[in-house]
Amino acid sequence: MQNAQNDSGGWDKAAIGALFDLKTGLLDRRVFCDEALYRLEMERIFARGWNFMCHDSQLPNAGDYLVNYIGEDQVIVVRDEAGTVNVLLNTCRHRGNALCRAEQGRAKTFVCSYHGWNYALDGKLIGVPGQKTYYHDDIDRTRLGLVPARVESYLGFHFATMAEDAPSLSEFLGDVGRTGLGMVNAFGDIEVVDGIQKNIVDCNWKIAVDNLFDWYHVMYSHASAGSAGILNLAEILFPNDQLVMLGEYGQAISGPGVTKAMQAQIDQMSDEQRVEMSKDLVRSGMRVRPRSADELMGPVGVRSVGHPNIFPNLWITLSGMQLCLRLPRGPHRTELWWYTIVPKQAPAKLKQRMVRTAIHLFGPAGLLEQDDGENWSQSTRTSQARSSQKLGHNLKMGIGKDEVIAGGNGEHYIETCVNEHGQRWFYRCWAEWIAARDWAELRANHSPVPEGTV
Amino acid sequence: MSSVERAKPSSNWADLSQAERVALQYSVEQFLYEEAALLDARKYREWLALVAEDIHYWMPIRRTVTRRDLEFEFTKLGAMAYFDDDYELLEMRVKKLEASSAWSEDPPSRSRHFVSNVRILGMEGDQITIDACFHVYRTRLNTEVDSWVGRRTDVLRCSGASFKLLKRHIFLDQTVIASKNMSTIF
Repeated sequence: MQNAQNDSGGWDKAAIGALFDLKTGLLDRRVFCDEALYRLEMERIFARGWNFMCHDSQLPNAGDYLVNYIGEDQVIVVRDEAGTVNVLLNTCRHRGNALCRAEQGRAKTFVCSYHGWNYALDGKLIGVPGQKTYYHDDIDRTRLGLVPARVESYLGFHFATMAEDAPSLSEFLGDVGRTGLGMVNAFGDIEVVDGIQKNIVDCNWKIAVDNLFDWYHVMYSHASAGSAGILNLAEILFPNDQLVMLGEYGQAISGPGVTKAMQAQIDQMSDEQRVEMSKDLVRSGMRVRPRSADELMGPVGVRSVGHPNIFPNLWITLSGMQLCLRLPRGPHRTELWWYTIVPKQAPAKLKQRMVRTAIHLFGPAGLLEQDDGENWSQSTRTSQARSSQKLGHNLKMGIGKDEVIAGGNGEHYIETCVNEHGQRWFYRCWAEWIAARDWAELRANHSPVPEGTV
Repeated sequence: MSSVERAKPSSNWADLSQAERVALQYSVEQFLYEEAALLDARKYREWLALVAEDIHYWMPIRRTVTRRDLEFEFTKLGAMAYFDDDYELLEMRVKKLEASSAWSEDPPSRSRHFVSNVRILGMEGDQITIDACFHVYRTRLNTEVDSWVGRRTDVLRCSGASFKLLKRHIFLDQTVIASKNMSTIF
C-alpha cells in the first residue's frame, strides 16, 4: 500500500516554506487550488489535528448519532450505552460501504446494507451473517470493528483526531483555543439548538477561514445589510479597538475588543447590571459577560468580542452565539455548517430572539452571509487561472507596525486597529502543519507565539 | 362580484358549489402567478404590497433521516431554520435587494418561479389554506445555476377583490443546500 504519510506530491519543505512570505505578506495562490497541497492538507492537517465533532447536548441519549467529517472521511459520532461519545469511521470493514447514510438519528446497532455485518455503538463487530456456514468460523471479529478516532472533550465540545501521536486536546487548544471555546460558554451551560444549516460554496476552505479574521471587509462587503437596517455596522466594528490573540498550532482570536478602561468599568458591575446593559445588544452578539466568564476566558480574552478560530476550521462568531464549521470538499468546494448556541438557563423568550438573530444574520439566507459566498467563490476561481494565479494573495496590512504585549499570566496579545495578523498567523501555521511529516516534527518545528514587533 | 368576495360568506370549502370552487381556484392561482411574476421581474416592492403585515415566512431545515426517524426530518417552529421572518424582516430583504451594494445580487440573478399542483386545503373565516409545489430556478453571473424545488403551505387572507399572503411555510426537497446563498425570495 502507498504510504500516504510520506507522499508529499512533490511539495518538499523548501517549496512549502516558499508559499508564504512573511516579510511581504504575499501568499502563493496555488494554495487555493493545487491538488497535491489539498491532499497534504487532508493527511497532515485534518487527519492529524483535532476536529470538532459535536457538542454534548446534541447527543442526549444512548444510540443518538450524527455524521461528521475528518477531512473527507465520514465519521459516525455516537453515544454508546455507557454514555461515552465514540467517533467511528463510517465504512464497513468488509467492502467499505457506508454504515450510516442518514445525517443523524437514533440507532441500536449499525447494520451494513450490503451484506448485513453489524456493529455495536462502540464500533465492535457483533454479527457477520454466515460466520459459521460460509466463513467456517475463519474470521476474527475482534479485529474488524469500526475504526475509532481518538476523542477528547473540553467544556462539552467533543473533538477527534486520527493521529495516535497527537498531543492532548488541551495542549492543542492552548490558552487561546480554550479562551475561544470559553467564549461560547461565557453565559453559563449551553445547548445547541436543533437544526444545523448546511450549504455548499464553490470556494477553497481557507478563503472562508481567512475571512473570519477579516474585519476590513465588513463595512464594504456587508454594506447592504447595514443599509437594510438589520444591524448598525458602525456600532459593532470598532476599527481602532482591535484585539488579537495568537496561540500555538494556528489558534487565533481577532476582532473588536473592549478597551481596558471600559473593562475596568464592567468589572465594577454586578451580573444583574450587566444583563440590563446587554438588553439591546442581542442582535449584534455583544452581550456583556457575567463575572464567571473571567475564569473561562482569562483577563485579556474576556475583553474580546471578536472571532476565535479553532484551527483549522471551526469559527466562533456573534460572541459565541454561533459556530461555523468549514468542511473541505476538494480544493474548490467547501461545505458550511452553522450551529446555534443558547444558554440552557436563558428564558424562552431570549432563546427565541437569539435563534432568530442567528437565522437573520448568517447561513445561506442570512442578510450578512449572502454576500460572502460571492466574494469567496470568485477569489477561488481567479486563483485557478494561469496569469492571475501568479499574483499574490495580499496580506500585508500592518506588517511591522504592532507590538505583542506580554501579560502577567503568560498571555500574549496585540491591541491595534484593523489588521491582518490573524490571517498571517493562520497561513504561517498552515505551512508548518503541512511541512511536518508527523507530530514529533510539528512539535519540534512549529512557531512559538510571536513576541516583539509583528 | 369577484369569486373571492362571493366565496367568503360561506367560509366553508365543503359548502361551495363546483362552480364556486372552480372560480376560487382560478382566483387563487392568478394571485400566485401574479406574485411569481413580480419576483421574476425584480419588482420586490410591488411583491411586498401583496404581503400581510402579520405574515410568517418560514423555511425549516430538512435532514436526511431514516424512515424510523422521519418525525425529525424537518426542524420544528422555533428551532433553527433558513428563513423565520416577519414583515419587518421581509422588508429588510427587499431593502437589501434594492441596495446598490448588495453584491450577491449585483449583477442581479435571473430567477423563474414556477408554481404548480395548487390545492385549496380549506377555508376558515377570511383565510384560505393552500398547498402548492414550486420550482425556483436561478442563474447567476455567466454560468451559475441553482434549482430549488419543494412544497409550500400558504395561507391567503381575502383582501377586497384579491388576497394578501399571511403565511408561507416552505419545505425544500434539498437537505444540504447546494448553493452559495439563497439571496432569493421564494
